[in-house]
Amino acid sequence: MDWYQIVLSILLSLAVLGGISMMSKVKTAVKGNLLSALAMLVGVIATVVFSGVLSVWTIYVAIVIGALIGGFMASRAQMIQMPQLVALFNGLGGGASAFVGVMTYMGWGNQIDSNGAPIVPDYPVFVNFTAILAIAVGMITLTGSLVAAGKLARIIDGRPKIYPGHSFITLCLLALSVLLIVLGTVYGKSPWIALGAVLLTGCFGFMFAIRVGGADMPITISLLNSLSGVAGSIAGMAIGDIFLVAVGGIVGASGLLLTQIMCRAMNRSLMSILLGGAVAQKKKTVATPVVAGKTPQGQTTQFAPNQDFEKLLEQLNDMEVKQLLDAIEALTKEVAGLREQLAKGGAAAPAAAAQEEKNSPASVLSKAKNVIIVPGYGMALAQAQHTVKQLADKLEHRGANVRFAIHPVAGRMPGHMNVLLAEADIPYEKLYEMQAINDDFKNTDAVVVIGANDVLNPAANTAEGTPIYGMPVLAVADAPEVIVCNYDLKPGYAGVENPLYKRDKGVYLCLGDAKETLMDIIEGIK
Amino acid sequence: MHPLILVAVFLVCTVVGYFIISNVPSLLHTPLMSGMNALSGVTIVGALSATGLAYATDGVWAQVFGMLAIILAAINVFGGFGITHRMLRMFNKKK
Repeated sequence: MDWYQIVLSILLSLAVLGGISMMSKVKTAVKGNLLSALAMLVGVIATVVFSGVLSVWTIYVAIVIGALIGGFMASRAQMIQMPQLVALFNGLGGGASAFVGVMTYMGWGNQIDSNGAPIVPDYPVFVNFTAILAIAVGMITLTGSLVAAGKLARIIDGRPKIYPGHSFITLCLLALSVLLIVLGTVYGKSPWIALGAVLLTGCFGFMFAIRVGGADMPITISLLNSLSGVAGSIAGMAIGDIFLVAVGGIVGASGLLLTQIMCRAMNRSLMSILLGGAVAQKKKTVATPVVAGKTPQGQTTQFAPNQDFEKLLEQLNDMEVKQLLDAIEALTKEVAGLREQLAKGGAAAPAAAAQEEKNSPASVLSKAKNVIIVPGYGMALAQAQHTVKQLADKLEHRGANVRFAIHPVAGRMPGHMNVLLAEADIPYEKLYEMQAINDDFKNTDAVVVIGANDVLNPAANTAEGTPIYGMPVLAVADAPEVIVCNYDLKPGYAGVENPLYKRDKGVYLCLGDAKETLMDIIEGIK
Repeated sequence: MHPLILVAVFLVCTVVGYFIISNVPSLLHTPLMSGMNALSGVTIVGALSATGLAYATDGVWAQVFGMLAIILAAINVFGGFGITHRMLRMFNKKK
């Protein structure tokens, strides 16, 4: 590499960094993205010119094919498909890095000297090592992302899937992959080692991603995003391209940062997510009886699909008993309440009913001056963001102050809700992060929850030993009136029931498709 | 290029990138991720030079692998930047 190539690489890397820092503000973000894209374009042209491959026709054919497919997908995709699309693209990038690794490892495309003989690399061991490592990381990214995309697109079951001996097989795959990396580094060029590395690490990526559940996808995608950058960077080390190393490193850092933010927001460690909660679950089975003993209402029915079969059965039994206990308890309460009413005299009952009649979700919202809307993955599933916008417009038209509270892990990728609401033309100034709005819930008149559950579950503060314990949640429970537009009352992904739904005052449950229930409410507002 | 220089570049960029990216608000995390995603397709420069150089000296397999690598990376780059652009424009469309 000549000095001017190095200078250009540095300049382009700085341009990419500049583009990213422009993406920290909405106003400059579009330009920032274009700047990054431009830097990449210049980098591509420079590479083609400097490596003297301008006259090779195959690369143009391949670029055009890829550009057409990518452009088509980008222009046609709906916003609802964004998570799986990001995952898919991510995987393809990783796959490309793996192929570059294969080519470098096989010694294809070495520079030629003036006599036409291939130039032997100065550091063959380093090249072999990085090339085969690029294959490994790239393939893990490819298969892992494909599984993640499949889960997000609901082509494959979104629940964590654990095969018999899952950990053992995964460990074996990992050990064999490491062995192949060592062999490949020492022996060098061998098609069998390359093939073995592709297959083994590909299987490893599959095994690790299939184990992660749908709601942990924000973290998985961020991690895979990071890996795809690292794969590119390692491939860059193999071929000695500074620009590739630099940009790959930046992408790797970004993915890592997002992964960290997501983990913190869920109060979970990365390892427990990658192991499909298996580690946390073991602790949980021990902790559950204690919880049930401490709090009599212990609504901690947990479902851990990823345990050994026997343990699963055991827990199912456990759950049934607990559900029965819950039901009995609820009935007892109801009977006690009825008795109380009878004691007060029969007139109390109709009055209460009339009160109920008067306070419909629509009437509550008609009166409310301060409304906070809490969207969740259910809003994405029901594609209700435009109906939500109608609701917000109607309320604002009546003089109410409407804000949106966004939990960092709401949805299936970082910032998922923000994109959906932006698609529905809701100005981003109205979207508030959890820390910014959490103290305002108690001062608000009404809260509308749309397809969210775990992110507002007050049990996260109290139910020790459950997967969500300690996770910061939106303080919806502090609000006087809460309208819940969820599909059903089933516990969310974390499997912890939401005690908020059982609150006797100021909670209105509008179950069913959020689009329809919201329309009913909108029509009801006078 | 000395391996140590390459590793150093990787480390420096990771650290600098980490600090710059930590300024991005969660509002823009999806576009950020999708933009980063597009950038990870930068591996296309490796694919291009390797494929181009292999054209004269190496066999059909090299071209097959190379073209595959370029196609995948190009989908990543064009799709990624396209989607990011669309998303960011949504945030900006103000009356």
